[in-house]
Amino acid sequence: MPPPRALSEFVAEANEVLETLAHDLAVLDAQRGREPEPDLLNAVFRAAHSLKGLSAMFGQEKIAGLAHHLEDVLDALRLGKVQNSDALVDTLLEGVDVLTLMLREAAGEPANPDTHPRAAAVADHFARLAGGGQATSADVLDEVGIDPAIRAVFTEYEEHRLRENVKKGVTLWKVRAVFSLEDFDTRLAALNTTLKPLGEVISTLPSSQPGDDASIAFDLIFGSGRAKAEIEKAVEGVASVSPLTQKTISPARDAVPAEFTPAPRKPPPSALFLQEASAPDLPAFGGSSQSGVMQGAEPSLRSLAQTVRVDISRLDGLMNTIGELLTVRANIQRLAEVARQSGSTPLPKLWAQELQKESRALERKLDDLQNGVLDVRMVPLVQVFDKLARLMRRLVRQSGKDVHFEVAGGDVELDKLIVEELSDPLMHLLRNALDHGVEAPDERIAQGKDARGVIRLKAQQLGNQVQIEVGDDGAGMDETRIRQVAIERGVVTREATEELERRDLLNLVFLPGFSTRQDVSELSGRGVGLDVVKTNLSRLSGLIDIDSRRGEGTRFLLTLPLTLAIIRALIVGVGDRTFAVPLNSVTEIVSVKPAELRTIERHEVIDVRGQTLPFVRLARVFGLRETPVERHFVVIIGLAQDRFGLAVDALLGQEDIVTKPLGGRLRGVRGIAGATELGDRRAVLVLDVGALVEELKRPTAAVG
Amino acid sequence: MARFDDLLNRFFYRADENVGAWLELAPEIADSIEELEELPEEFLAFELSTETYAVPIGAVREILKVPLITSVPRVAENVLGVMNVRGEMLPVYDLKQRLNLDSTPQRVAGPNDVPRETRVVLLKDPEGDAGILVDRVKGVVRLMLSKLEPAPTLGAERRAVAGLGRKDGQLYILLDVEQALG
Repeated sequence: MPPPRALSEFVAEANEVLETLAHDLAVLDAQRGREPEPDLLNAVFRAAHSLKGLSAMFGQEKIAGLAHHLEDVLDALRLGKVQNSDALVDTLLEGVDVLTLMLREAAGEPANPDTHPRAAAVADHFARLAGGGQATSADVLDEVGIDPAIRAVFTEYEEHRLRENVKKGVTLWKVRAVFSLEDFDTRLAALNTTLKPLGEVISTLPSSQPGDDASIAFDLIFGSGRAKAEIEKAVEGVASVSPLTQKTISPARDAVPAEFTPAPRKPPPSALFLQEASAPDLPAFGGSSQSGVMQGAEPSLRSLAQTVRVDISRLDGLMNTIGELLTVRANIQRLAEVARQSGSTPLPKLWAQELQKESRALERKLDDLQNGVLDVRMVPLVQVFDKLARLMRRLVRQSGKDVHFEVAGGDVELDKLIVEELSDPLMHLLRNALDHGVEAPDERIAQGKDARGVIRLKAQQLGNQVQIEVGDDGAGMDETRIRQVAIERGVVTREATEELERRDLLNLVFLPGFSTRQDVSELSGRGVGLDVVKTNLSRLSGLIDIDSRRGEGTRFLLTLPLTLAIIRALIVGVGDRTFAVPLNSVTEIVSVKPAELRTIERHEVIDVRGQTLPFVRLARVFGLRETPVERHFVVIIGLAQDRFGLAVDALLGQEDIVTKPLGGRLRGVRGIAGATELGDRRAVLVLDVGALVEELKRPTAAVG
Repeated sequence: MARFDDLLNRFFYRADENVGAWLELAPEIADSIEELEELPEEFLAFELSTETYAVPIGAVREILKVPLITSVPRVAENVLGVMNVRGEMLPVYDLKQRLNLDSTPQRVAGPNDVPRETRVVLLKDPEGDAGILVDRVKGVVRLMLSKLEPAPTLGAERRAVAGLGRKDGQLYILLDVEQALG
């Protein structure tokens, strides 16, 4: 029995392999009905193979067994014995799901009674698929005439690739290159990269006629439809090109479409997964095209994902250290300032200069360190997008609707913590888009739309924020219905709705108690759990906005900070107290004179460029003594779709802060997220802007 | 009465009494005394106003000079605020009101607001460590658990007193930390 630590490492690694597998299968799915790309197939095959080896090594026989079946099917697919079809991808994805379940059990989660029957069914299905391949027809390789000495060293897979190339009427070439022993690996890789756009490198063989002692020669078996001159030009000075076969056969012999070229990649005609286009070129895991002899030597247990796994608690510790280093920096700065001001003694001036220099150097290094650590925390959104894509695939199937699910921007990176927390809200929004956004095909045709609906999931980075869009081209929301329902449910008064603009009206759906499940169908559904989505986002300091046009669709825009670990905060003063306000929720700062304040139902409001916002005095919220001022500094807070002005007495600057929770007994003080230390080691309270907003919206709250 | 106690104490041997000098003179009785002897527990004694309180030494994390204390809105009156102990944010409590020693809450923001002898005793607590502001730390006192008296019922607010200890004519009020902070 392996120790728990080894087990947890196995689970983490196997999980990564499964995630890669699922991602590649999604890409494969987008290519269904056509001949899949050899590189992709190899990657998928290898993932299954790794999983088999990995689980066998850790004594996980059940997982190894199923992975073995999976590997067989993929091998058959790779060898062209099985066609890439819908049914096949469905089975493969089910296989991945079942493997994930089994892995969870291995990790110690309670067993799911479904797992074993499902595993048996999948294994059975796999066995039938793998065994059911049709026999290959008359061997075309015999007809083209290849040197038997060369042919003898090809693997079954390489022969299959040769055959495929021959069937397409592509000419096979032998590209001979001689490299120095010192750097042949990098130069060989470079040659592969050069050749790839022109055709397919089927095999790399060490040449039977080596050069001198200091060099090594390779024969690259290369299939390409390009003219000899073109290939020669590409590899000029590196390698020589000669035909491998004596003759070519006409492509018309076989039904395989001839337009297949491995690269450059064309987006698949159905463009179902945009991520396929944005995904980085599959890295050559030890060189998928440099197979042959080199492949045999490759360790199959190599980790598939090119990411580093770091324990989040270790990162948190590192973060704390950085927080303290930041304090040191501030201390040095303060010392320097003090010394500079007491310039009457002979020593301080030079000393202060030195100190200031040090402080600047320290600051630069801290910046590097901070960025480095933040980078480690960053993970690409594709981790959650892939899971969502798989879920959507299943949901679309079940719904009977025809929907085109577009994903883009999976390479955008966010703090791991945020990415993890995002999957639920995004799932909610996507489910809603499918269930209630996109109409049934006949309904769409009746409205003159394409029968196939579109649901979009798109991410992009905008400065220090990431924007994620969840959109559909469905029915859109009915504002009049929203207004009615909001009034019926007592969420707003009729008078209040008169004053609401379109945007605010739409945003009513985020209020708790706005809708219940029964409303779903009447209201084109929006509203199911949207308040939950909003709460989740607020917790991540995120904003959510909504845009919807009747008949054209609905669009949710989520704006999120890149990280929550170290944040920039605005330091404000109220009376003799100091507070920190996270800057990611501050949209702007204005100053108003007391005379410019207006009241609505005795609640104070201010006018910011034509928009009326609630005016909240921080002193009053916290029951502090208010000091009369000539003008208020108003920090405009924007959180999700809520905006209000927070009045403070003084603005004291900006700082990078690490928010720490208040010691156990004071946890959960409303409106306080925690405390941070500033330069003089004093604790400064950090406002919980989300909680303040919630309070403000509760009509009974003693705010404002 | 106190004088009578004193006389009795002088006359009779008490388990917590230091009789080392006598044991040297009569080593043969040392073993029998050891058997009878209950080991005294160590307590940290400190002053709050005119009274002397004590907490088990095992419950004390450290004793601090009064740091800068940031007051926190919306918390109970006996919370003076939070202090930064090497990066940890911990609450500081004022016990005087709860213990009826003072009727008005004090405002302490830092070392300049209190006499020089004032300290913060940082107590370990499963609910989260917390500091209490004390007027003076007296030192460690060894008390026999079996000799502790239960707290007399003087009023409703005596819940924060776990018991009373007596040594050398000094009354030590044992603090029930859980109740005092709650």
